[in-house]
Amino acid sequence: MPALVELIGATHRYGEVVAVDDVNVALRPGELVFLVGPSGAGKTTLLRLINREIRPSSGEVWVDGLPVHSLRSARVPELRRRVGVVYQDYKLLPRLTALENVAFVLRVTDLEVTEAEAHDRALDALEAVGLGEKADAFPDQLSGGQQQRVAIARAVVRQPPLLIADEPTGNLDLETAWQVMKLLEQISRFGTCVLVATHNLEIVRRMQRRVLTLVDGRLVRDQPAGRVGRLAWASS
Amino acid sequence: MGVVVNAPFPRRRRLGNALRNVVRLVILGAWRNWVRNLGSTAPALGSMTLLLLLAGLVGMGAYAVQRVAAAQAESAAVLHVYLRDDARPQDVDALRQRLASDRRVASVGYTSKQQALERAKARPGLGNLAAASDSNPFPASLDVKLRSVNDVGALAAVAADSPAVDPVMPTSYDRGTYRRIQTVLTVLSAIGVAFLLLLGFVAVTVTANSIRAAILARQHEVRIMELVGARHWMVRGPFLVEGALTGGVAGAVAALLTLIVSLAGMAIGAGSFQRFAPGVTPVVALIAGALLVVGGLLLGSLASLLGVHRELRTA
Repeated sequence: MPALVELIGATHRYGEVVAVDDVNVALRPGELVFLVGPSGAGKTTLLRLINREIRPSSGEVWVDGLPVHSLRSARVPELRRRVGVVYQDYKLLPRLTALENVAFVLRVTDLEVTEAEAHDRALDALEAVGLGEKADAFPDQLSGGQQQRVAIARAVVRQPPLLIADEPTGNLDLETAWQVMKLLEQISRFGTCVLVATHNLEIVRRMQRRVLTLVDGRLVRDQPAGRVGRLAWASS
Repeated sequence: MGVVVNAPFPRRRRLGNALRNVVRLVILGAWRNWVRNLGSTAPALGSMTLLLLLAGLVGMGAYAVQRVAAAQAESAAVLHVYLRDDARPQDVDALRQRLASDRRVASVGYTSKQQALERAKARPGLGNLAAASDSNPFPASLDVKLRSVNDVGALAAVAADSPAVDPVMPTSYDRGTYRRIQTVLTVLSAIGVAFLLLLGFVAVTVTANSIRAAILARQHEVRIMELVGARHWMVRGPFLVEGALTGGVAGAVAALLTLIVSLAGMAIGAGSFQRFAPGVTPVVALIAGALLVVGGLLLGSLASLLGVHRELRTA
């Protein structure tokens, strides 16, 4: 199966600091992959490279056949429509309801979608994450876990081939975090490649999925799914 | 197991949906935000209205001055050769034929002393002067229309040699008059243009900053739009429309005020205003108003383009 995401010698420097250092990795459709490492290891930078929020200083980044490293800014929206993104702080629009937050993505990315279609698809996505009954609630009326579910619904409503999540459980208690992770696992089963940057080692161990370990910007370990290995950086 | 077939959506309907979405997201969205942020837009709106109002009034004034200059240029090409009261008819005829045969002359007319008096009475100020004298102080003249205003001086010299011509004041030729008028007009135009450019710079800067403030106030929404893959024009479009709205409203207000001032001036001043601002009619004022609205839209769009360009950059 061809890789959906491929980084070839990807490097990114912030001035003198090397945030991501010569990373080579390939992710396939339907994979759920964890990206772990200590704070400042370069996890977020790696995700930002994939979503073309920043360009690599050197090396190549390919997503769904698009050369992200050399993509003109006019084509960045094309890439972003193939990548769903979930953040630790949810990034929901406070003056829109849960349903409107999800439908908002459809409206601004697909001009041909009708109001009724946007409504139905957004409601479907909310029901898929178990929040159909909270469709009319505003973000401040939802718990952290519920807001994160809305964010996930928003990320997948366009059914992108890739979903990246940056510390999606960082603000959640363990039980809620576990539910969110199970949800991401379900999404990956439908063929979406899910890449999750996380500090939550407990969940990483329980899920037994592929784990990429970054330390000081370098990919020091690529542990295949199904293994329960020691996380190199955690023991140091 | 059945096969799911995606029926093609009629092209016309898809285009209709796209159009509706563009109107709703870009234009109506911009309108809602513009109304909501009217308080922060007020300085930009005020400065642009002031600029456009001044541009309108200065423009109308410039139009009137240009008409005056055109009239001056036309009259400058007419040389009045003043005749002695006791000039012999044969001398006058000889001079007239000599002038008429000159290639530089388009035509030669004759104004008698009586006609000169009648014309003087019709002019403000000269009527009293004419009435104050028992005799007719205005001389008869040959009115020489020249093909080029540059030949007036040479023709005046030719005419002055004739015995029929008044030796004290032979012609209407005043060497520097036309040149002085042109110089004054040029200087006034330069000052007006410089003033409007300065005001334009201020208005565009203030508007660009208000757009930048609007972007900063909505940076969360803008950021999300960018992250989910909204096209650049979809992100930038509403801000451009907001700038155009600011400029358009400023232009409309300025146009209305210019129209009111012009119409009021025409109504109150009637004849005197017509002399003060020759050529300025209701149609001219309406055209000026329309130009102000268009100018406002363009200025507002330009200002927001600058603000958006500086604030929204992609990696």
